[in-house]
Amino acid sequence: MRLVGSAITIAVAILGFAAIAQQTGSDGNQLPAATPPSPAPPANGSQPQVDESALRYFASQGDTRRVNAEIARLRALYPNWSPPSDLSQLSGNPGAAAPDPLIERLWNLYREDRIAEVRAAIAERQTSDSNWKPPEELIAALETVEARRRLTNASDTGQWRTVLQVATEAPSLLTCVNVDVLWRVAEAFARTDQVNRTRDVYTYLLQNCANPGERLATLQKALTLLPETQVAALLQFERKTGEAPDDFSSIRDELARRRVERASLDSKMTASAEDLAVVERLIQNSSDAGPVLILGWYNYHHGNPARALELFKTALGRNGGTKAAEGYAMTLRALERISDAEAFAYEWRERAPENMKIYLDVATALLSQDPPPRLEPQVLARIVPVVTAQRFPDAAQSLGWYSYNTQQIRTARDWFRTALTWKADDEPSAYGLALTTQRLNDRAGFNAVVAQWRSRSQRIADLADGIGTPGRQPAATPVVAAPIPMAQPGETTLPPVQPRPESRQVTAEQVETEQTFARTEVNVRRRQTQARSALGRNCAMTRNPAGLTGDSALTRGWCLMEINRPMEAVAAFDQALSTGSSRTREEAAYGKSLAYLRKNLTSEAAIAAAEAPQTRERRAELGASILTQRALAAYRDGRYVETLLALSERARIVPEQNDLLLIRGWSYLKLGRYDDAEKVFRAVQQTGYSEEAAAGLNAIAEVTGQMRY
Amino acid sequence: MRNRTPSPARLLPWIVAAFSLLVASMASSQSLSVQPLNVVGSVSPADWEAYRSRFVEDTGRVVDTANGNISHSEGQGYGLLLALAAADRRSFEQIWHFTFTELLIRDDGLAAWKWDPAGKPRVTDRNNASDGDLLIAYALAKAGSAWHEPRYTTAAQKLAKAIGKSTFSRSGRSLILLPGVLGFGSGDRPDGPVVNLSYWVFEAFPVLAALAPEYEWSRVWRDGVMLLQQGTSGRIRLPADWISLQNGLQPQPADGFPPEFGYNSLRIPLYLLRAGMTDLEWLRALKQRWSAENEGVAVVNVVTGQVRERLTDQGYAILPAALACALDGTPVPDSLKTFEPSLYYPSTLYLLAKSLLGEKYPQCV
Repeated sequence: MRLVGSAITIAVAILGFAAIAQQTGSDGNQLPAATPPSPAPPANGSQPQVDESALRYFASQGDTRRVNAEIARLRALYPNWSPPSDLSQLSGNPGAAAPDPLIERLWNLYREDRIAEVRAAIAERQTSDSNWKPPEELIAALETVEARRRLTNASDTGQWRTVLQVATEAPSLLTCVNVDVLWRVAEAFARTDQVNRTRDVYTYLLQNCANPGERLATLQKALTLLPETQVAALLQFERKTGEAPDDFSSIRDELARRRVERASLDSKMTASAEDLAVVERLIQNSSDAGPVLILGWYNYHHGNPARALELFKTALGRNGGTKAAEGYAMTLRALERISDAEAFAYEWRERAPENMKIYLDVATALLSQDPPPRLEPQVLARIVPVVTAQRFPDAAQSLGWYSYNTQQIRTARDWFRTALTWKADDEPSAYGLALTTQRLNDRAGFNAVVAQWRSRSQRIADLADGIGTPGRQPAATPVVAAPIPMAQPGETTLPPVQPRPESRQVTAEQVETEQTFARTEVNVRRRQTQARSALGRNCAMTRNPAGLTGDSALTRGWCLMEINRPMEAVAAFDQALSTGSSRTREEAAYGKSLAYLRKNLTSEAAIAAAEAPQTRERRAELGASILTQRALAAYRDGRYVETLLALSERARIVPEQNDLLLIRGWSYLKLGRYDDAEKVFRAVQQTGYSEEAAAGLNAIAEVTGQMRY
Repeated sequence: MRNRTPSPARLLPWIVAAFSLLVASMASSQSLSVQPLNVVGSVSPADWEAYRSRFVEDTGRVVDTANGNISHSEGQGYGLLLALAAADRRSFEQIWHFTFTELLIRDDGLAAWKWDPAGKPRVTDRNNASDGDLLIAYALAKAGSAWHEPRYTTAAQKLAKAIGKSTFSRSGRSLILLPGVLGFGSGDRPDGPVVNLSYWVFEAFPVLAALAPEYEWSRVWRDGVMLLQQGTSGRIRLPADWISLQNGLQPQPADGFPPEFGYNSLRIPLYLLRAGMTDLEWLRALKQRWSAENEGVAVVNVVTGQVRERLTDQGYAILPAALACALDGTPVPDSLKTFEPSLYYPSTLYLLAKSLLGEKYPQCV
């Protein structure tokens, strides 16, 4: 009776419903406890050894009733057990009482699992003979089967309280032959927030049940339902000797793997050498990416990025997917291979939100390097649309500083502005906006930033008050070979930001930003669609402007400018010039000059500007722009004297900005006028924007053989 | 166990008193009360065998042959009730075994309503259906006392308590029977609570009240009658199968269901007759509508009065015949006297009607 007896004990102990347990205690006593089954724990392990001796004895006596009772009892205990086939040969003792054919039939139906029919036949017999009683053993067996079905059905539909109630009322179910029932009861405890009782069921099972497969499966279930400390405690029940010893090493490995996994994400947690060795072994013994990733992250967070990189690469090879890609990109970045990281992360950015986040982070890091790196145009060209689409303020700010540090001040200003629209409280971007507006002599812009920020940012307030030099930004000496904006890769396809007519300011707000982004063909295409939708009209279709009215032609011209098709815009502006009112003509001439300027056709721009009278402001603006273009074009061609002439002419109209002052300095330097160059660089340095100037001074020092810095 | 069960004989006067009410309707005043049925022996062995062999599997599963051969708590309840009516303990026990092990697994003690042999798990909707619960509990209670089987009485009592606890619900000043624990209450849907008047198995209420007297069975019974009177007071004089009580006094067809007097509701007159509630004025109006000269039994739009589908199966045709018999003593036509089982549902209605006629109106058959 050991199994059933202990089952009752455990049922009472683990179910712990005192009231119900008392009830079932008496039920339990009614169980067929008189005939003890095999008292010894199963020795052969896989299947509990069924003691058939009583059965054989009754069979040899020809006592069918007791044979059937014993079969019922054994079947209740061991559902997988079948009665021996040679029983009939043992029977036939003529002295035995005549067997009841109905009971024989009932047991047969029971054996065939036709329980409803057994119940039906009993009821039928009782209808005709109200005094007739079925064998108690049969009733107990039926109740056990019914309880198991209800328990299983309830568990399958998540009715956990029913599971526990049935188990309490039918403790005879809770034996090693019904391990599945024990598992379901254990789960019901866990699902009703009683994990300690879940552990008790598993403990009971490991202490009493012999099948090694079921024992291991018990621990696997424990892993899904119990806290790890409780799982670890259950390992003590591993049987290391005997015919069928346990092998719980996979559970130990899993626990080790989990410990390493936890430590892999927390640099303050260290995994033991043993645990790390387990994960290494798991990597060797499987083609799974899981353990590789864990070890990758562990190395990543514990100061070994080189090893982490190898592991993430292995994980990628094992179809580790987005997680592996995330690790690989982050590790490249940690190894300061930021260019590689950017290129790699770009390929994976669309695969998962995490990968997009990493790409944006890496791109931000790439742009924020000190000194600013020389970036390939295609790199910038792919960063910008992603940043724009994702509206990622950190990268916008970095693009601002990158532009700033490569002397693309207008572009920088636009990026800082963009960053602020995406993240209104981004102080560094506000500071960048203050710096750039100040450098561009954009008083209105500068005052607006200061008004908004001086109470919140000391350095912006200082800038407004003219105190001190601005703090160093992520910038350093530009590469000497490319010291000026024009030489910067970003600028090669970037049309200069053009001043815009006042009347267009409202719609231009967004478009101006767009224009700043127009670095690549890809970008231009995207911009076209956005410009169209933003302006609610379509000028992308090539068509002859002849026949358009002055105002329509003018509108079309601006539209074409916005989608960066300046030569078509020239045609449209021409149409406007020939048919429009004087106001339209003035506007058209202005537009035409801008269109030519965008194509670097400065002479044509100058002619266009003269086609219609312009306001003084616009004359100055156009003149300055034309002269800037001329100066830059001349500098690019190495015509330094002409550069200086254009700059001087421009300086008579508008104040010379620092970026143009630097070009003046470099031109002097190229012409060997070191003293003039030095004066200019020092002047720039004194305004506080010293890094670029310092580069110039260093260059002079190198050329003249004097290291003054 | 039996000594814990109240003796039906002792309680009967109280029950009859509690389950009667004076109904003020139009000009006439009617008195309604439940008159208990014996049930046992009211269906002939031949009729029952014709039904059982078609719709009851050896496992005790009652199969809804028109519904993908699924089973449900309602079918199990009808199966139990008809087995009892046929005095077939054998089949009753069989059907009960299936009901108990496969459906009575909910934590709240009610039956899961839907069981699909192709499902995994086979309970494919664990929600309950209150009419199924009532039918099962009622059949168990009747069988428990008829056959002196405490197992049935105990199970009936458990289920009755679960019904009272989980499906009775307040709606304004009424106490209603929710069709299911989930999905019909005022918090579950915008037009909730939603009820189905054909879930009031009127004859079951006094019987279950005796088993679970702590719940207000007579009030739910009475408020069901009230709702039925409200639901049949419109121009068309037919209640929709599914009714929203959101607006308190004025029941409306519920959202998401066709506004129809359909397969559900046509059981209502049968339940009223079986409960002996023949004084309800609406039954006369319905008899008129269902007569051969008029519309006959049909699925009717309760807003427009339009007939969507005429129902001619024997199981539907016997309903007006039973009405005519109960109200006017009109004999049941010969064509309806022989059971010709077709599908599960009309066959069930046929036997329920025939069981009533056999017990209370033998002169009509």
